[in-house]
Amino acid sequence: MHLSNRQKLLMPLLLLLSALPVRAELRDLSDRELSRIDGTGIGLVLENFTFSHGTDEPDTQGNQARIFRLSGIRSSDGRAVDVTVNHLYLSGTGSNYGENLNPVNLGRLLYPWEIDVVDGNRLGLAGKAILQLAAPVKVPMAEGFDCLGAPAQMGSGTCSSRPATAGHAGERADMGLQMNVAVGDDRSANINLHAQSAVVDGSYLRLWGDGDRRQMAGQIRLNFYTPELSITACAQDGSSCGSRIRMADFQLELAIGNPLQPVFFDVDGGGHFVLEVAAIQQPEPGDIGADGLRGSSQAEAWDFYERYYTRPDYRSQLAIGNFSVGDRDFGSARIQGMLVQHLSIRTKDLGQ
Amino acid sequence: MSARGLLLSVCLTAGFLHQSPVHAELAELGDDAMARVSGQGGIYLSGDISINALGGPIENSYFGRCDDRQKTCGARVAYRLRENGGWMVLDEIQGNFAFEGLTLRVRSIDSGFGGDGEPFNGEVLELGLPDTIRFSDVRFRMAASSTARPTDPGFRQTDIFTVDMQGEVLMRGNLLIFPSGAP
Repeated sequence: MHLSNRQKLLMPLLLLLSALPVRAELRDLSDRELSRIDGTGIGLVLENFTFSHGTDEPDTQGNQARIFRLSGIRSSDGRAVDVTVNHLYLSGTGSNYGENLNPVNLGRLLYPWEIDVVDGNRLGLAGKAILQLAAPVKVPMAEGFDCLGAPAQMGSGTCSSRPATAGHAGERADMGLQMNVAVGDDRSANINLHAQSAVVDGSYLRLWGDGDRRQMAGQIRLNFYTPELSITACAQDGSSCGSRIRMADFQLELAIGNPLQPVFFDVDGGGHFVLEVAAIQQPEPGDIGADGLRGSSQAEAWDFYERYYTRPDYRSQLAIGNFSVGDRDFGSARIQGMLVQHLSIRTKDLGQ
Repeated sequence: MSARGLLLSVCLTAGFLHQSPVHAELAELGDDAMARVSGQGGIYLSGDISINALGGPIENSYFGRCDDRQKTCGARVAYRLRENGGWMVLDEIQGNFAFEGLTLRVRSIDSGFGGDGEPFNGEVLELGLPDTIRFSDVRFRMAASSTARPTDPGFRQTDIFTVDMQGEVLMRGNLLIFPSGAP
């Protein structure tokens, strides 16, 4: 290669420029520094939040009709079911069944809603990373509030969400759904659902991949506490309503799936959605001794079934303090310790 | 000086300048000085978003213009829950959303929140929700399908439900986003 004299002079200059030392450097982190770094999730808090949607009637200012409709569902005799949501709301307590919307906080800065990837080793799922969507957590009794009581004081329960006080909106929401359900041409059913001062603390959805089935697996925990859950059926124009079905001190703790027996989500070859909790595996012959005690059994298998049958958080509960229709009281109702041992739900297309 | 000599001296001078230390330096900010710096302002957003209001870009045996009643219009998102399994589908996603006054800023919280602000003492990303969001003919369908695309062979689909939304949705408040939780 022939270089001109000018190029010969410029070459060392370019090399000199490119070889200038870079003084800004990246420093190594020591093991001690690294051990202090935590992977964290995302905390979410809704501050002064109000949500309201849907009515077929123009509002008092004459604004256009709002529509929120669910359709495409069919009744078992093949008639189209059309659900028009007249009002879906989420508000602070004291909303008078959605009439007076006021702001509420959802989640606390110290106990927020969370999206996180958690280590499966801590949850009984060795070697798995688990995507978790969680509501505010339950806390020890000394720091928590009664999940139902409107005037609850600190130390009265395990819910982290606080009831409203004179100076603070609290974290408990009134929520409701007023809907008109039409089956075919019959548009007579107007059903309203309202929950007052509701709390969902301790609820979560955990999702992970099951390596054996090569399928999405999950664990669902839904806690729902409200001092009053009510259902009414009204005339289509909303003018006259039947008796209010009122469930006082309603507590639902629903557990579907657990690390030993997850819930599986699937769509089959025919295009049907399938939700399945597979039956727990049977013990091998000889794993559990004839007397059922650990001493005569294979210890690992015995521990597995002991855990499955005794863990309280694998079980569902429902408690209603008082069930009333109109002015008639039917007393309290309680279902406790329900374990979903097998579940298979499959959608069916009635149109074919 | 000859032209060659001039060029040589210019080059050497340039090289010398590059080698000399830079005297204007960046001074480190101490923690005290850093603590006094705060990000100001934020972002104010207004939006009018239409998704396939008239029909998507694909026209074939399944998708078409929205005024063609024989065809489906709107976007389709399919996701699979199992290896070699069927697909969950959000189908016929279409419509128009409009909002005014969505704000985005970083906010420092060290008080309020019923006494939680003081122990929290940190910064959050605040998304100020617009008071109302206007929906015009927003619709989507939840379905389960045997194939990802409706034009694939063996396509079968079960529609679970369809949602239609129209009018204004009241949505007030702030969404606060911050790091939390444990690894």
